[in-house]
Amino acid sequence: MVSAKKHVPIVKKHRKSFNRHQSDRFKCVDSSWRKPKGIDNRVRRRFRGTMTMPKIGFRSNKKTRFLTPSGHKSFLVSNTKDVELLLMHNRTFAAEIAHNVSSRKRIDIIARAKQLGVKVTNAKAKVTTEV
Amino acid sequence: MAAFSNVSSDLIWEITRNNNSFLTKSKQNGGAQFSRDPLNLLNKNSRKQAGFVNDKAVGIVRNEKGFTVITKKASAPTKPKESFLKSEHSGAKSSRKAYKAIANQTAKNGYRADLRETAVQRVSAIRRSQLPVKPEPEQKLRGNKAKKAAASS
Repeated sequence: MVSAKKHVPIVKKHRKSFNRHQSDRFKCVDSSWRKPKGIDNRVRRRFRGTMTMPKIGFRSNKKTRFLTPSGHKSFLVSNTKDVELLLMHNRTFAAEIAHNVSSRKRIDIIARAKQLGVKVTNAKAKVTTEV
Repeated sequence: MAAFSNVSSDLIWEITRNNNSFLTKSKQNGGAQFSRDPLNLLNKNSRKQAGFVNDKAVGIVRNEKGFTVITKKASAPTKPKESFLKSEHSGAKSSRKAYKAIANQTAKNGYRADLRETAVQRVSAIRRSQLPVKPEPEQKLRGNKAKKAAASS
């Protein structure tokens, strides 16, 4: 496996997930982000001590966007032919095996990726057995 | 595409660049695009690399031990059997000789000199992939598992 190309250090401007206002108070309010719209809403009016809202400024650097900590971008793969596409890109892309691939075929894909020097992000999934 | 005298390769490219049978698009992670074209050295969807568009193109395909170099004959685009020239390279040659051969094949006689470097890179990548794979080192046991193993032995 080849390590990824050198890149600008990855900076995440906001590590925590943005939860919907008052999703911690009520079971029926899901945590998926919804922008508060109420006329008196303190979060919307950005009062001190209230939660931060997502905004465009939190977006990652274009150069490091979508990069995994290893420095690769992941590319979804469902067979060995797909892995072969990454032969010339093994320093920028890593293969990610699709969820609906059986463990038997996963073994083939992982072996092929190893030959080609392609990183597989989920190489242990469904293949390793618990001891 | 010399056969269609009224259709230039530029036109074919503009028509097929967003949708063709070789193209694989991914919507994840900003959207990567790759090409499955055998005549594409980088598997990249670009005008320069697209083998099905250009009159002259070079493709390098891996086979059992070596690789096959496919080139396109500009004079017979409508005769698929004649238009693709295939030359087999066995893996027996040294890498340097293989690179030399492929560099000559792509760049000599003014046949796609712009692809020489990528062609050599692809041969290099293919040859590296044909080396025997190193077995992974056995993982050391840690924590309780290590204690158990030490106690049982």
